[in-house]
Amino acid sequence: MDINGKYTFNAQPEQVWGVMLNPENLRDALPGCDRLAEQAPGQYEAVMKIGIAAVKGTYKGKVEIADAEEPVHYTLRGEGSGAPGFMKGSAVIELQKSDTGTDVVYKGTMEVGGLVAGVGQRMISGVVKMMLKQFFQNMSKKMPQQTN
Amino acid sequence: MKPSKFEYNAPTSLQEAVEILENNEEAKALAGGQSLIPMMNFRLAQPGALVDLNNIPGLDYIREEDGSLVIGGLTRIREVETSELVRAKCPILSEATGFIGHLPNRNRGTVGGSVAHADPSAELPTVLTALDAQIRTFGASGEKSFQPQEFFLSYLTTPLESSDLVTEIRVPLPATHAKGAFMEISRRRGDFAIVAVAVLLEIDENNVCTNARISLGGVSDTPLRVEEAEELLEGETLTEELLRKASAFSAEIADPESDYHATAEYRRNMAQVYTLRTLKKALGMEEEGSK
Amino acid sequence: MAAQKHEVTLTVNGITYERSIEARMLLSDFIREELDLPGTHVGCEHGICGVCTILLNGQPVRSCLMFAVQANGGDILTIEGVANGTELHPIQEAFRKHHGVQCGFCTPGQVLTAYHFLSENPNPTEEEVRLGMSSVLCRCTGYNQIIDSVLAASGESRD
Repeated sequence: MDINGKYTFNAQPEQVWGVMLNPENLRDALPGCDRLAEQAPGQYEAVMKIGIAAVKGTYKGKVEIADAEEPVHYTLRGEGSGAPGFMKGSAVIELQKSDTGTDVVYKGTMEVGGLVAGVGQRMISGVVKMMLKQFFQNMSKKMPQQTN
Repeated sequence: MKPSKFEYNAPTSLQEAVEILENNEEAKALAGGQSLIPMMNFRLAQPGALVDLNNIPGLDYIREEDGSLVIGGLTRIREVETSELVRAKCPILSEATGFIGHLPNRNRGTVGGSVAHADPSAELPTVLTALDAQIRTFGASGEKSFQPQEFFLSYLTTPLESSDLVTEIRVPLPATHAKGAFMEISRRRGDFAIVAVAVLLEIDENNVCTNARISLGGVSDTPLRVEEAEELLEGETLTEELLRKASAFSAEIADPESDYHATAEYRRNMAQVYTLRTLKKALGMEEEGSK
Repeated sequence: MAAQKHEVTLTVNGITYERSIEARMLLSDFIREELDLPGTHVGCEHGICGVCTILLNGQPVRSCLMFAVQANGGDILTIEGVANGTELHPIQEAFRKHHGVQCGFCTPGQVLTAYHFLSENPNPTEEEVRLGMSSVLCRCTGYNQIIDSVLAASGESRD
């Protein structure tokens, strides 16, 4: 499925870049992320606990930050698998300066498979959207307070 | 697969149930089991403990009270479906329950369970949103009550805390002359709705619509009220042309997902088609070309 | 550490059984494994196919969607309890005569569903039979033979 969208932060692109690519912030902001450990520059091992209501699963996998051109764009790739299924996705993320701060524009695809996809298919994109929203909301809490 | 191990509790009072849920974060409430047990059979859900609510007396009832239909959280869907009182006072609720799964599901499934599960494709959340029913809960922090828009927050997501249980639904009785209808499209009878529509209309003696409620299921992460359509219809005499205009708002507000039963485009299209059909059905208007 | 066991008492086809089982044992598995009554089949195990349908206190339920402990004290009818010794019940006879059985996998669910359906609606129309029998899936017959069987059992026939 396609994942496209935009989120606006009230901060400058350089600041947004710094916050978003910081591994500790990534770990805090990614919903359900228990562990994000750097294996090599830009490559992380991840453990995420994802679920809604009673349906919970632990996914182990990798997150990779590639093709980074500070502070303009980078590619984010991730994959993980667990008992409920697997997921794999990548997105190109662009930071665009705007009047109110920085527009983070993301364009990517995601594949979800296994049991959770078979049983919960109609909910998956909705849940992904919810998680993206949470991710950005968590990130915005990490952004430096703007003084006017 | 078979369910994983869990500690089984069968309390005989609401208070006891709430205490167990509050003290054990692994515990999950079990009502009809028609949604939870399939997930446990797949091991998509693996609660460490279950609190079986089915032995708690006094939570299954259907009665009329102060202009509302009051239904206990543990009332079986089948009871609502076959209740003469519901059929007489709130026919769209009867109609909607007839679409919930199949008879064996309705024999076990409960009103409280369906509401707490908050599936946006489910019939009960959709029709209760049109009826503006009040959802009452009881938990460790006491009694709370919610309107549908405050309760159905997203897929399977409600403001319920771990010890909160849906104890009662209060449905304000539609006016006796109100017209209503419930329709859904699904590949087979008994499946989850691809799109569901619940309509309630009040028409006065001058043939003017004084109150319109239209609720859509299956087109977003919660049931949706088509407020722009409702506003268009209120204060007007309902002609076919006006109903068509109103139905277009359903396609606009719908924000569906695609899955292998239907694409998002199809759901959006059907939201409009079925809004019109349901409005016409409520008004007893002839429908060309439909079953 | 041994799993916690619960005592259950169930009456199945007129015989009362007492057993000690884990809470997570599904009613379908209890009937098949604990009571050695394998006529109740297990298909999808998530409440869609209906082959596990039994009557609990006279009402059809999907036995894969209940834990046996929840049926404690209940009165159950399975397919093994439908015939009268070696004499087929009229519904079973109708299924035999009108080819409502092919592979037989869904048949127990179909027969029990029909048994309950006809007890509430003894003179159904074809449309009512189609709706009333829709809770159990069949991959073999194309359903018409099942409809024929149920109509025949009710004394009607499909046009």
